[in-house]
Amino acid sequence: MTTSPTSSLDWAVSLRSPAIVMDLERLGAYSPTRLSFARRLTRLMHDQAWRIHRDQFELDDNGYGAAVYRLQTPAGRYHVVIFAQHLDDARRTDRVIADSWDLTFGLVEGEVDGLLLEALAANVPLQEAGRQHPRLLVISRANKSLRNFEAFVSALAAGHQPDVSYLKEAGYLYRTTAVYGNGKFGIADYDRLKGNPDFYQPFLAQMAAVYVLREFSVEQVEHIASARGLDKTVPLAADIRRYLGIGNSTGLGMAPFLINHPQLISQWVWVRERALALASAQQPDEGDRERMLALCRRVTAYLNDTCVEDERQILRNAEVHEELTQVTAWLELVPLDDALWRQLLDWAHVQLSFESQELINTLLIELYPEQVDALNDEMGADENLDLIPDMPLIQLKQILETHFDWAIYADYECDDARYWFWYQSVEKEEPRLGVRGEELGEEKELALAIGPTAQSVYRELISALEKQPRGRTIDLLMEFPEYMAAIRRIQTMATTFYGEIRANLWHRDMKPMHLLRAKLSFLGAHRFDPRGDRWVRVTFFQGAPLLSDYENDSTSRSLFDDWSFPVAPNSDPTALVQ
Amino acid sequence: MKISLNELQSVCRKAFLGMGFTAGHADDAAAMVGWMQSYGLDGLKALSDGLECVVDSAASARPDVVYQDADIAVIDGLQKSVLSSGNLALELAFAKARIRGLAVIKIRRCRQRQLIMGYLARLSSRGMNVTAFWRHSQMPITEQVVGFRAGSAVPSIRVYELSEIPEDDVPNDGITIVMANHVDLLPTVRSEDEYRLLARHDESDLLAARHEALEHGLTVEPEVWQQLKGFAASTLVEASAQSRSGAGPAE
Repeated sequence: MTTSPTSSLDWAVSLRSPAIVMDLERLGAYSPTRLSFARRLTRLMHDQAWRIHRDQFELDDNGYGAAVYRLQTPAGRYHVVIFAQHLDDARRTDRVIADSWDLTFGLVEGEVDGLLLEALAANVPLQEAGRQHPRLLVISRANKSLRNFEAFVSALAAGHQPDVSYLKEAGYLYRTTAVYGNGKFGIADYDRLKGNPDFYQPFLAQMAAVYVLREFSVEQVEHIASARGLDKTVPLAADIRRYLGIGNSTGLGMAPFLINHPQLISQWVWVRERALALASAQQPDEGDRERMLALCRRVTAYLNDTCVEDERQILRNAEVHEELTQVTAWLELVPLDDALWRQLLDWAHVQLSFESQELINTLLIELYPEQVDALNDEMGADENLDLIPDMPLIQLKQILETHFDWAIYADYECDDARYWFWYQSVEKEEPRLGVRGEELGEEKELALAIGPTAQSVYRELISALEKQPRGRTIDLLMEFPEYMAAIRRIQTMATTFYGEIRANLWHRDMKPMHLLRAKLSFLGAHRFDPRGDRWVRVTFFQGAPLLSDYENDSTSRSLFDDWSFPVAPNSDPTALVQ
Repeated sequence: MKISLNELQSVCRKAFLGMGFTAGHADDAAAMVGWMQSYGLDGLKALSDGLECVVDSAASARPDVVYQDADIAVIDGLQKSVLSSGNLALELAFAKARIRGLAVIKIRRCRQRQLIMGYLARLSSRGMNVTAFWRHSQMPITEQVVGFRAGSAVPSIRVYELSEIPEDDVPNDGITIVMANHVDLLPTVRSEDEYRLLARHDESDLLAARHEALEHGLTVEPEVWQQLKGFAASTLVEASAQSRSGAGPAE
């Protein structure tokens, strides 16, 4: 039996503090939850009976050509348009500086006639270099996983199923290298999407486009295999098909997003933390405990099936795997109690790594869809950093001391504390990190590090208060107009529960990977496979329902709702982690 | 060519940074241009017509206060663009109006006055009733009045020509702005005056223009766009093998 908490205060008081939650290293240990955008999409598609139909599939025997998929929701019609082309191996790179890809695609609002398709064919393959149509909601590009692609084509053409072990290293046939929305290169502004009943939430349009690409990737492989194997060819088995996702290769370009959208990130964290507080306040019964144990076993099996290259990530995965056995033992031994989940979290906080703690949080949220799913509607934010010019300086000082204590008392003078500077390169405006004092471009530094700026504001504020104890914010700004951006950000973020990500982005030990992982987890990415600390490959929609599942009325709802931490078909859940 | 609003604001922001604006002022200036353009009020033309003035104004982020008391402020615009320090001048008035209920600010000798509407929209969205007035020309006398109702980012705009020249016709190259915290200040032109209405933009026209802009994109002259991108490019760092490694290891 699951009961609601006795009062809203019960869960509210158990919200974790910003000092804990907004720590960058902890954010970098997040796993996707049922509130992540990819999960949200597959539920929405089911609940609203979205239908996706292949309208056009004009590919040659090598799989090159164009395909169009129609996406019908109760509120509107969209099309995903895909262009596949030959790409020399030498030109295949996941870096943003690439200028051609195996495949490019876009999500279009409304109908696509011949004229529009022609315009899209002329521009979408050019990506940044094209002038994109304003009815495009999303544009993206993807490169093949060459090994998986050839292995799948060969196997199907030869009349048998491919070896799923390939998918444990890279769970996809294609990986996207950027998925653009919000007005990039001429496509529709996000402001327009705010009135769209299907895609008003951030990143849902991007997720929908990527989901359709997943379907195309299988259909293209089957098409090529069919041309090669003729009558011998077999279709890809449904369980392997379901275990195929779409990869994504992400670099530093994603990092500034988290810093430049502080209200949105704070809102995402606020939603996640409320979901956790609600879940942990539930009084579990034996069924809930069994379900939690089953989820732990599933994650263990998922980790067994996860092969990554990065040494540090291998160690982290192994540590989580080992700690999951402790969690399982704890859950089996501890007497059932109304406060079992609080006890579990308290124990985990002391005993386990960040990554395991956050994984347990993810699984607890998973247990209580009825309590947490409504929070999904709150994943958007009105992003306005507004100044309060009449705020007394003494109040601004209190805000800084209360909400920015992590920033104003930090040491930014030592070499390590000011080691990196962020800048944009002329090469496609790619964000990069340079070493201060050693590399060119310091004078063009991007103002991403809010910590040192908050400290400068604080110091000037203290002096201003000495001269003008009853002064107001506008008085400080009239003297130091260069703090306009910082002060309104400080005032605005102080009104949010979780505020800023707490990190010195200049520090030598700062790991940009944590920023990437935090965002990717909210999007719904699995299988974090870092390449160094500035580059990561992940997989979306692995284990997610197929289009055919949506078309089958007898498919269980759980297939649309409960597919995270996917386990390979015929996987042995008792095997040890690699 | 067609561009999106986000592209316009992003390129403008970088262009202003490239000219030497501080980050906050570049944000605001870009938003002011974007606001005008998206409501069909030709913000880009206003910007490009006075681009030299904008570049010349980049370092003037601090308003020059000639006089102020609790209710009133007079600012010398020093013949600079309102993009450079207009935001702070308006925040000064906003603070006074919040404290005193009503405030008046006069920005004398300023340029590109149309562009200030974008920041007025921001203040009205924050709950302030705002009316701005300025005189376009002396011979014949044409005047513009813009009013925002608190909570709405869409103004009512009137531009009209007076048939009678007043005796005191000292050139007026400033803006007068009235802000009221609690009462509406929407402009109405008195019917008994002799005037010829030259332009009238009501909320519905402006919203339609905004809808059109979001639906079909914004039109921009390619030369102007390239000019802005040229300024924006100066914020970018030259590429080198070392800098490429700054984005992470090669694959």
